[in-house]
Amino acid sequence: MTTPSDENVRVSNIWQQNDRTLGIEWTDGKKSLFDVVELRRACRCAVCVDEWTSAKILDPKKVSEQVRPKNIESVGRYALKIDFTDGHSTGIYTFNYLRQLGN
Amino acid sequence: MSLIKSISEKFQKSSRGDGIVSEQFIKQEVLNRLATVMDPDLHKDIVSLGFVKDVSFSGGKVSVTVELTTPACPVKEKLRTQCKELIDGISGVTSSEVTMTARTRASEQRATLDSLAHVRNIIAVASGKGGVGKSTTAVNLAYSLAKAGSKVGLLDADVYGPSIVKMTGVGAPKEMQGSLIVPPEKNGVKIISTPMFGTQDKATILRGPMVAQIIKQFLTQVSWGDLDYLVIDYPPGTGDIQLTLSQIAPISGAVIVTTPQEVSIIDVRKAVEMFVTMKVPILGIIETMSYFVCDGCDKKHFIFKSGGGTALARQLGVPVLGEIPMDPAVASFADQGTPIVEHNTAGASAYLEASGKVAAQLSILNSSDAKGLNHFQLTWESK
Repeated sequence: MTTPSDENVRVSNIWQQNDRTLGIEWTDGKKSLFDVVELRRACRCAVCVDEWTSAKILDPKKVSEQVRPKNIESVGRYALKIDFTDGHSTGIYTFNYLRQLGN
Repeated sequence: MSLIKSISEKFQKSSRGDGIVSEQFIKQEVLNRLATVMDPDLHKDIVSLGFVKDVSFSGGKVSVTVELTTPACPVKEKLRTQCKELIDGISGVTSSEVTMTARTRASEQRATLDSLAHVRNIIAVASGKGGVGKSTTAVNLAYSLAKAGSKVGLLDADVYGPSIVKMTGVGAPKEMQGSLIVPPEKNGVKIISTPMFGTQDKATILRGPMVAQIIKQFLTQVSWGDLDYLVIDYPPGTGDIQLTLSQIAPISGAVIVTTPQEVSIIDVRKAVEMFVTMKVPILGIIETMSYFVCDGCDKKHFIFKSGGGTALARQLGVPVLGEIPMDPAVASFADQGTPIVEHNTAGASAYLEASGKVAAQLSILNSSDAKGLNHFQLTWESK
């Protein structure tokens, strides 16, 4: 309630812009477009990024240009989860992280 | 007949309380006057908030229903008196009746899970560390809200150290509704806790994934039904269970329990940060063991440094919802399985006051305008 304004920003609208672009409108009115292949490469789950050192485990080159989301769903009131066509489904993208990526 | 005379005759007529004109006139006057009554939390008048319902006038008597956002409104009686005085002041009104009701506003974060579909608000009661009176607070908060007329459920998520069954004396669940467990009730509060499904004396030894399963079942396979508030007693700290809860259940807001000491406050900050990360709004702080009232001199003895909770609340910019005194009755009634709010003690009135403030904070939150999506799901259409 009294945290900095960005802390309270949530998704007010979400849609598929085109074959590989995800669109999100935030509660502060800002709009962001994401390349879904880049989202797959930016995954921060424990399989893709080392939990202790934060070193990147996932090799971006190994992510196919053909990868697409299958399903996108909200997690609690702070994040969303993406099931990808390559079988990867452990990534939780917090709204704050997406806002950073969207900048 | 002159115009002035005609109006004054209408007035005469209206003060006798007969005829359609007078009825409309009185009703409008009632609304005009009630438009000066402000809701202290929402900072708007009760007429524009749409709280005033069913204004009627017949035979000199005005009846009005005022619908508040929570049965636990702390200023309910004050508002009633204020409304009554304003209505009684209208000429032509000989008597009035002001009925106060409540329709709890659903939290913006409405559940999409079937079992939680009719639960309007989910309150997390959490603390940074154990032993600060968190479970006692959860129980008494639940009973205080119920005492004020709300429909309340209590979920004991402290799987490793469940104490709700002991504190409330609740029995085991007896029936199923389809595939859902019907939670047993004690003094009007629906309760679910792990000891109901095993022996109370046996220690619960469970691996993380098992615990997550139990928590998930408590939320999704219990027939919670129609509830104004579901109070969840969180385990202390910031671990797996807390994460699971915030991922499955759309938590409306969190109440943070702390004692006044410095160490406790440091741990509380971590709990607060966890909720902020998960975008669960902090409703406020309840400080327990704030002071001890001497039975000989009625003086408030501050055993620990006073004002720890207040200092924390100021740092975080959230309200202090209550300062609960050390009341031996709180502990002894908890041991007997009867909630303190059923008795008239210092601890009981402190909890009743705190629960009113919790309800008020939720009302403020639920009527705020910034609407985010509660739950969304998008199926990608690939070429």
